[in-house]
Amino acid sequence: MKVSFFSSVFYLAQAPGGWPAASTGYSPQDARRSMLTALEQFRLADEVGFDWVTVAEHHYGPMGLTPNPMVFAGALTQVVKRARIALLGPNVPILNPVRVAEEFAMLDTLTDGRLIAGMMRGTPNEYVTYNTNPSESRAIFEEAVVLIRRAWTETQPFGWEGRHFQFRSISIWPRPVQQPHPPIFISGSSPESAAFAARNHISLGLAVTTVPQAAKSVALYREAAREAGWTPQPDNILYRLSFHVADSDGQARADLDDSARLPQRMSPVLANPALEAAVAATGYYGSDLTKQRARVLLSHGVDERIAAGQILIGSAETVQSQIRDIADKLGAGVLDLVPAFQSGEPTFRSIRLFGEKVRPHLRHL
Amino acid sequence: MTGEAFEERFVDADGFRLRYVEAGRGPPLVCLHGGGGLRLAPAHDLLAKNHRVIAFEMPGFGASPENRRSASTEDLGRSMNAAVAALALERYSIMGTSFGSKVALWMAIERPEAVESIVLISPAAIREQQGPVPTHVAPEEAAKLLYAHPERQPKSPPPPRELVAKHAALTSRLLGPGRDAPFEARLAKLPHPVLALFGTADRVTPPEGAHLFREILPHCHIVLVYDAAHAIDADRPEALASVVGDFLARQDRFLVRETSGLIHP
Repeated sequence: MKVSFFSSVFYLAQAPGGWPAASTGYSPQDARRSMLTALEQFRLADEVGFDWVTVAEHHYGPMGLTPNPMVFAGALTQVVKRARIALLGPNVPILNPVRVAEEFAMLDTLTDGRLIAGMMRGTPNEYVTYNTNPSESRAIFEEAVVLIRRAWTETQPFGWEGRHFQFRSISIWPRPVQQPHPPIFISGSSPESAAFAARNHISLGLAVTTVPQAAKSVALYREAAREAGWTPQPDNILYRLSFHVADSDGQARADLDDSARLPQRMSPVLANPALEAAVAATGYYGSDLTKQRARVLLSHGVDERIAAGQILIGSAETVQSQIRDIADKLGAGVLDLVPAFQSGEPTFRSIRLFGEKVRPHLRHL
Repeated sequence: MTGEAFEERFVDADGFRLRYVEAGRGPPLVCLHGGGGLRLAPAHDLLAKNHRVIAFEMPGFGASPENRRSASTEDLGRSMNAAVAALALERYSIMGTSFGSKVALWMAIERPEAVESIVLISPAAIREQQGPVPTHVAPEEAAKLLYAHPERQPKSPPPPRELVAKHAALTSRLLGPGRDAPFEARLAKLPHPVLALFGTADRVTPPEGAHLFREILPHCHIVLVYDAAHAIDADRPEALASVVGDFLARQDRFLVRETSGLIHP
């Protein structure tokens, strides 16, 4: 089993709520400190043996200071020397897909082929960011993924006559190092996404979910892949959850309790329920609308979250057994781990403990 | 109804009696069908809004007598040039689909001065490897090769089996190898602007082979039509008519966008 260290690079200071968030009281020094802290954590994760590091795309709020994860990943290429760099965004339906293909190819070149190319639809609020109709987002997304792959592999300049994109000449430079192209991950929370991923031989990422719900998506994915004539391997399935490792279970819980007074990573979906409802009304969610909305809106106590496989927390030994339980139920080969909270030294220690005391026991999983 | 504006006519040329259908006014566009024979699609209706569209049925296809005389696509190209001459067309563009793309290219090689520009749709003229052929498989499988979304196509009975067999025999005999050195040597000197369209979901002439056209033809543009299979004219008619219309009007300059992006003045 592989593990990735994910940071959304959130703003480590008090900030206004809601989405979009006003920038009243915004401090450039705090923003810079937040970015440098994230870079330091990524550097540490690489040093202590995480297989990948992950960045994502979020706009207009303190939840993530990486509206363009490509830019942050550019900085990471100079800090992360060994691990693969996974980008889970970009949110391709709101971007120019040719530009996405170009930026990915730059990163694959800078890392000498260590890029993981995630292509996301984005959280529902992101459709306001650049004024995109959420009801068209799935069709735009699917076309963009096909176009990006084509831009990476086509050796002669070509035009594109799509439903949502039109280009008269595409010929990207630089080219990806990985051939025929870097591994692609898409988010597969809806049956439609899992089926699209399977049809196109694309890997599946599952986030903001529970192990039982993710297991259903994985089953759909495997079935659709079988129909498409291939068998997904563990490395084709990524599951994201939060983690905190301390020297003992008691210490881990105490760290968690302490963190309550600190700025928290707030989901932009929860930050503006009215907007989320408007997005839901456009048909943004797939055919299992109710289930998906419940998924993005969920919020539970820590014990429920442990039971649902949403958080790993405790000593190294406890976390190992929590992981074993998830691995058995899900068959995911990659765990994408986000710090359960940002509280300075305990968070750094958690990353180190995970790398040194948990990860060595995961190789056989 | 698809093709409603088209009128059926006949012309005698090179010893053949050729059926053709025609609609529209404007610069002439001579259309050569694929191995399945003459089949009008919504794209033809759209192109006929700005062009005089003349779609031939090549000898040996449809109800015409079996064609044993043409020995090659080069031969067939000569006959089609005679047909165009008999219609007194002086200058025109040619659009060749699949099998018809090779005939279209031979027409331009033989009479370069008469041809304005060349459009190739899902062209089979140069092939890296042989894909499945719609006329060689069962009707249901053929529909899946032709259309990315067969369920969206108007319901029609499959063509009679004898007709499909007749077309299959003729195209197999005439098409020639995927890589044809003497033909490619002639193509390398072709002065015309060429537009080659490939469907991203096409398995018959897959887009993976598109690069060959740009490598061999000196002035070729490739455009991939998203979510179209082999019959781009039926899967994405608006997309085909839009890009082909722009190319016919502006040739190489079609690379540069002319339409405004202004939202409000």
